[in-house]
Amino acid sequence: MVTAWATLKRNWLVTRRAYPWSYFIGTLGPGIFTVVVALLSYRAIGGGRVSAWFGASSGTSDYLGYVTVGAAALMFTTRMVLWVAKAQITEQREGTLESQMLTPAMRLPYLLGVAAQAFITSILELCCLLGTALLLGVRLPVPDPVSFAAAILAAFVAVFGLSIPISAIMISAGEAHITQNTLFCVVGLLCGFTFPAALLPAPLTFLGELLPATAAMRVLRAATLHAAPIQQVTGDLLICLALGCLYAAVGLLVLPHAERRAITRGASA
Amino acid sequence: MMRAIATDDLRKTYPVVERPWWKPGKPLRAAPAVDGLSLRIPAGQVTGLLGLNGAGKTTTIRMLATLLRPTSGRATVDDLDLVKDAREVRRRINMIAGGERMVYTRLTGRENLWYFGQLYDVPKAQLKARIAELLALVGLEHAADQRVERYSKGMRQRLSIARGLINRPAYLLLDEPTLGLDAPIARDLRAVVADLARDGVGVLLTSHYLAEVEQLCADIYVIAAGRLVAQGTPAELTTMAERQHTVEVSLAAAVDDVDHAVETLAMRTGAQITTGVDDDLRPRYTLRHSADLAGELATTIVTAGGAIARLEVTPPTLEDAIIALADAARQPSAVAS
Repeated sequence: MVTAWATLKRNWLVTRRAYPWSYFIGTLGPGIFTVVVALLSYRAIGGGRVSAWFGASSGTSDYLGYVTVGAAALMFTTRMVLWVAKAQITEQREGTLESQMLTPAMRLPYLLGVAAQAFITSILELCCLLGTALLLGVRLPVPDPVSFAAAILAAFVAVFGLSIPISAIMISAGEAHITQNTLFCVVGLLCGFTFPAALLPAPLTFLGELLPATAAMRVLRAATLHAAPIQQVTGDLLICLALGCLYAAVGLLVLPHAERRAITRGASA
Repeated sequence: MMRAIATDDLRKTYPVVERPWWKPGKPLRAAPAVDGLSLRIPAGQVTGLLGLNGAGKTTTIRMLATLLRPTSGRATVDDLDLVKDAREVRRRINMIAGGERMVYTRLTGRENLWYFGQLYDVPKAQLKARIAELLALVGLEHAADQRVERYSKGMRQRLSIARGLINRPAYLLLDEPTLGLDAPIARDLRAVVADLARDGVGVLLTSHYLAEVEQLCADIYVIAAGRLVAQGTPAELTTMAERQHTVEVSLAAAVDDVDHAVETLAMRTGAQITTGVDDDLRPRYTLRHSADLAGELATTIVTAGGAIARLEVTPPTLEDAIIALADAARQPSAVAS
């Protein structure tokens, strides 16, 4: 864990000295926009009420709470992916990938260090979004602390796991923007962040279930909107953890190949 | 256990796009960057790896640093396999490449060394002292707590050198380490490398500064197109290429008998002769021969009644030898020695 701690400390120092404001605004902006648009449509178009089908498919009639939790989770996902999945390609762009690969340090603790710093930063940023939502009049119930903590852990594992194969794809392809934006579109559409995934056609719902963020989203909503006890979310929690670990394992398996491909591309260029 | 880096028939090929995938035939061709290289880099010695651009030096170093996997062949570090025992090998080696990258620009010099020390598992009790020692070695104590983004190019390169030594490597791979460094710093680095070798570190050095190679290397491998074309000490390589000594003599004044005597000497020895005048419009003779004819030429001139104003001998250089060996390797009939 020496590598994880050292990487957390390194990233903390770097972030403190050069905080990426453009990323922050780029992710906070859409989050606030989503909440504001939902608020306006709820009040101006829906007259402060939701239809029966929304309640049936989402399991709640608190539309604003539903959207706010979803927007916050999407922001968390986006920020974590931007930190963790882009860690290796950033090393490559800054010229430090080789010095990193020369060391005997393992990739998992290195990425955990990056993720730990990303988690702390993302939570602070999430507070900005939730604070803005509160100012706009959104009210969330007090969650069950155990299931809320479990939901946060599940979301962390889900996004961390998802980020590792994405990191391998980015470094292997030598680009980040197309990969990250494709991922954001896919998770935004399939994982039920801002609308119930049940509204999607069956094949897309199935694809959404293959992504760990979908189960994480259900756990988060159950914990925050329904104050569900841990027993009620155990099933989704396990799915989320299993899928997150599976993605992480696949990612860690392919990452060394992707890194060598990146070095080879540099060497043969 | 053999204390050395050893390679046996090491090969690395890169896929090259031959034709678009929709056209018939194979779209990719395997282009060899390293082609059957067998080297031995013993501990306690600086070994040179020379060749022209594209000869395969950097690919070889990257394979030895475990950054690239060989396509075939075997490489070991102290009998540890480079591929199977990569993590253990990484504890024993380090690499320093030319240019100022390989360090984090938003961290200070000290923080960079601390971070890499952690990645190499340098014991906490030793790390602080090791960092101070390395900062002193590369002359960065005064800038240790300054962010690297404010460093000059030379300072970044010096920090990169300190990074390469943080784990006390048993083998150090140096790829153009003095590239872009000021002469005094490059000289200091050469002294550090020589000291490391004396302390038992095995060093593999590639450099375009051949004086540096001649000064440091006990043994040199010359490669061209990924293949070994020659191996030997700098002196052996210089003679191996059969380059010519050039003797240039200017006379104080023209003397007819000297003309005839020098031409006779050239005919007898088979030397190439060029006559002309130097910048001060004095008669000048230039003789090129595989042997040094300076003594014989001076005697001939003096015996013929001439007075020598200037005499200059240019012996064949290692640079000439490398170019000649690489050129020879490009010929179809070239055979590796």
